[in-house]
Amino acid sequence: MSLNALRSPIKLLRHVAGGLRGLFRKERDDRELDEELRGYLDAAANVKMRAGVPHDEAVRAARMEMGSLESVKEEVRAVGWETGVAAIWQDLRFGVRTVAKSPGFAAVAIITLALGIGANTAIFSVVNAVLLRPLPYPEAARIVQVWHVPPPKSFPGMTRFAVSPANYLDWRSQNHVFEGIEIYGFGAFNFTNGDRPEVVQAARVAADFFSVLRVQPMMGRIFAPEEDQSGHSDVVILAHAFWQSRFGANRDIIGQTVALNGNKYTVVGVMPPSFQFPAPPDAQWNPQIFAPLGWTDKDRAVRGNHNYLVVARLRSGVELRQAQAEMNAISSRLEQQYPEDDKGWGAVLVPLREQLVGDVRPALLVLLGAVAFVLLIACANVANLLLARTLARRKEIAIRTALGAGRGRVLQQVLSETLLLSLAGGALGLLLARFGIDLIVHFLAARLPRSSEIGLDALVLTFTLVISVFSGLVAGLVPALRLTRTDVNQALKEGLGRTSADSGGQRTRSVLVVTEVALSLVLLIGAGLMIRSLWMLRRVDPGFDPHNVLTMFIPLPQTKYVKPVQQLEFFDQLLQRVRALPGVESAGATDALPLMGGSTQPVTIEGQPIVPMSEQPEVAVRRITPGYLRTMRVPLQRGRDFNEGDTLDRPAVVLISKSMAEQFWPKEDPIGKHLTLTFFRDTRREVVGIVGDVKQDGLEVDRPIETVYGPVAKNPGPWMSLVVRTAGKPASLVSAVTGAVREVDREQPVVDVATMEEILGNSFSQRRFTMLLLAAFAGLALLLAAIGIYGVLSYAVRRRVQEIGIRVALGAQQADVLRLVVGQGLRLTLAGLAIGVVIALGLTRLLTGMLFSVKPTDPLTFVAVAALLCSIALLACYLPARRATRVDPVVALRYE
Amino acid sequence: MAENPTTLVQGTLDMLILKTLALEPMHGYGIALRIEQISRGVFQVNAGSLFPAFRRLERDGLLESEWRATENNRRAKYYRLTEAGRKKLKSETREWGRQAAAIARILETSS
Repeated sequence: MSLNALRSPIKLLRHVAGGLRGLFRKERDDRELDEELRGYLDAAANVKMRAGVPHDEAVRAARMEMGSLESVKEEVRAVGWETGVAAIWQDLRFGVRTVAKSPGFAAVAIITLALGIGANTAIFSVVNAVLLRPLPYPEAARIVQVWHVPPPKSFPGMTRFAVSPANYLDWRSQNHVFEGIEIYGFGAFNFTNGDRPEVVQAARVAADFFSVLRVQPMMGRIFAPEEDQSGHSDVVILAHAFWQSRFGANRDIIGQTVALNGNKYTVVGVMPPSFQFPAPPDAQWNPQIFAPLGWTDKDRAVRGNHNYLVVARLRSGVELRQAQAEMNAISSRLEQQYPEDDKGWGAVLVPLREQLVGDVRPALLVLLGAVAFVLLIACANVANLLLARTLARRKEIAIRTALGAGRGRVLQQVLSETLLLSLAGGALGLLLARFGIDLIVHFLAARLPRSSEIGLDALVLTFTLVISVFSGLVAGLVPALRLTRTDVNQALKEGLGRTSADSGGQRTRSVLVVTEVALSLVLLIGAGLMIRSLWMLRRVDPGFDPHNVLTMFIPLPQTKYVKPVQQLEFFDQLLQRVRALPGVESAGATDALPLMGGSTQPVTIEGQPIVPMSEQPEVAVRRITPGYLRTMRVPLQRGRDFNEGDTLDRPAVVLISKSMAEQFWPKEDPIGKHLTLTFFRDTRREVVGIVGDVKQDGLEVDRPIETVYGPVAKNPGPWMSLVVRTAGKPASLVSAVTGAVREVDREQPVVDVATMEEILGNSFSQRRFTMLLLAAFAGLALLLAAIGIYGVLSYAVRRRVQEIGIRVALGAQQADVLRLVVGQGLRLTLAGLAIGVVIALGLTRLLTGMLFSVKPTDPLTFVAVAALLCSIALLACYLPARRATRVDPVVALRYE
Repeated sequence: MAENPTTLVQGTLDMLILKTLALEPMHGYGIALRIEQISRGVFQVNAGSLFPAFRRLERDGLLESEWRATENNRRAKYYRLTEAGRKKLKSETREWGRQAAAIARILETSS
């Protein structure tokens, strides 16, 4: 299209219309052009004849002046844009025919590209849903989570901490940077559906919690401000899924009452299905019922106990930095005002999106990089395949060039063929990605924030199209450029060119293979480091024996079990029944299972200087029953375990962990010493024993968690986790144990039934899945690279049949031939390895955050991976090399 | 011919075609001939650039064409200026005059 056409829209339209007319009236236009040109020739000849030139000579002269009739026509046709379209169409049809003629090649190329494109599409759809798409709240970028920053001396390594009600209320009244700042906390309700009791996750939320997120209920209303007050808070809002599954999507639910924890609550609203609750990603918290805070004045005054989350929306125009500065100022005021509770406690704002996806971002980006590598390797492989075919087509192309096809036209034709392959690969890849996405969601749903949003949307489809076209161009450009450089005379003279001195793109192919080896080495090293990390993690001693232990969580409704004695009674009876079950070796209960985190408290050691609470060291505090430590096989190192005699009316006793003993009584014997837990200031507790350290907060936490165990009987609570050590498979005892629970209280639900091994497995499930994906991609890369090496060598052997024949004829042994071929492959591999190691040294740093007790430059991994790659490469060399040894010199020399 | 025929400066062919057609509709060879004659053989126009130019000018809406009988009773495609073509010729002529004058001045002063 001429540039003029672009200057005015009317002209543009005319060109479009003219072009379309041209496309549909092509034959008529051609006929007319032909007639017009003939007329021109006749007229020219006539003029010459009139000047006295004889007829024949005049016609000849006119023809000479005009030049080739066909090339004039071609130039006229080239004026309109439609010719380009027609040519592409022609090329595509030609491409389909060429591709269809070699289905084997087409299948290999399409599948190779489909694997690369499919992997990219799958990972990109996860990245798109998790990292790119805005959170499902209006103007979500302004929503932040506000955390406490605890004093580092008491909480080494912790930067985000839950918030206390009194501090929150001060933040709320003193700030000028938030449009709204709201508090919410964990809750659970016992809900009886028919006669099946269940525990439903819930959230206690401030009245304006939904307003600050700017979400509306699908039906009904959100909470009113007065419902924050204790006594007015017997209303609930239901999550969509819960409303559907438990109330059959009954639209008349609004205004009805439901029984929760044995009390009556009025349903005032139902949230839409799209509503996403802002739970921290590792909390496994998906509330189905929302209830108001219902705080009493006493609740509001709590400053030193941190149990809530806070979400806020920045005023428009307020920068995160500004808001952070103001929160810092407010925090330091509170520190001075309430030194006892707040000394050292700061506040930090985290954008909600960062909060939700910050943890998985590095892993996702690494995976995205990995699949990009895989795609590049796939492209290199297809380029290699194409190069091999190039040779066969040199003659065809040379003829085209000789007949006047421009370089661009030849390029276009070759590229349209590879684009055809890559688009077919893209379509197949999309199909693979569908399954891949299902797989990822299936394995990662619980660990991946926003996993419900993952799917193929317009952006993902566009991405797939773009990378398909991109890979078609990348894979096609190398062979296409080589092809168009072909020297016409040379190519035509050589025939098939088998004897030519020209390398037939051998150097190009070698470069491609070296690249493939280098890229797959990088991926393999990444995967190797992850595998090593997981292996190291599995070797970490959790401090207990996870085999054959069944666990379940039993939350007693406080409305039914009002007094601590009742709660204690329940668990006593339950444990007696469970211990009596056949197949049960021992049983106990704790308020928080290992690895799952739990409460911490400041502690004061008797005889050591008294400091304000905010400077007191924090220790994990666990309440356990007698038999718990034995069931978990946490070793008692000294002193005695709890027994049935450690009850409410006896002096308080505690067990401490080994690290606690070393930390607080480095030179003394702790047994017989006393300590005070700050939240129970009036109780002196005597240390009666020392037990082994347990990984309370997860396997990856290096620092030993100093732990104080107290007997449940001294401080009963409404919920406990039951642990049961079984003789056989723990899963086989589930129904017997839940039956025991129901024997004690028919309406009592149990939740989170899991074996301790499952809990241990879950704690590295995300890491394991990232590792598996990375390993799968690295394996794919390795396979493709091996195919690449194999392809290059087989081709080289085929080209050198004659030479090998001569060598054999001159007395070369099999071993010499083998060495010749394998040596060539090995040189390529070693070059790739060298480059790959350099790239890997630069890139594995990006993995640092995802590794566990392995350095990103771990020499063992590097050496092992390089050895693996080398042996696979040798195998890929061996097959063509063996073929070379079978070359019969007589046949080889007669060749051609 | 005293000198070799000159190849046309890019874009000037369009202007010459428009100018030639300003008088009356003509067919392809007539236009070529007229340009050659008027320029006294300085410009020789070949078919390979003439016909693409026709197609281009037609697409731009500066020319129209129709099939008509020639003086010796054969069918030929006659090109005619459109209103837009006439305007274009006017503006191009003015612009050309301005440029030619400027170039002439430069060449005179520097010699």
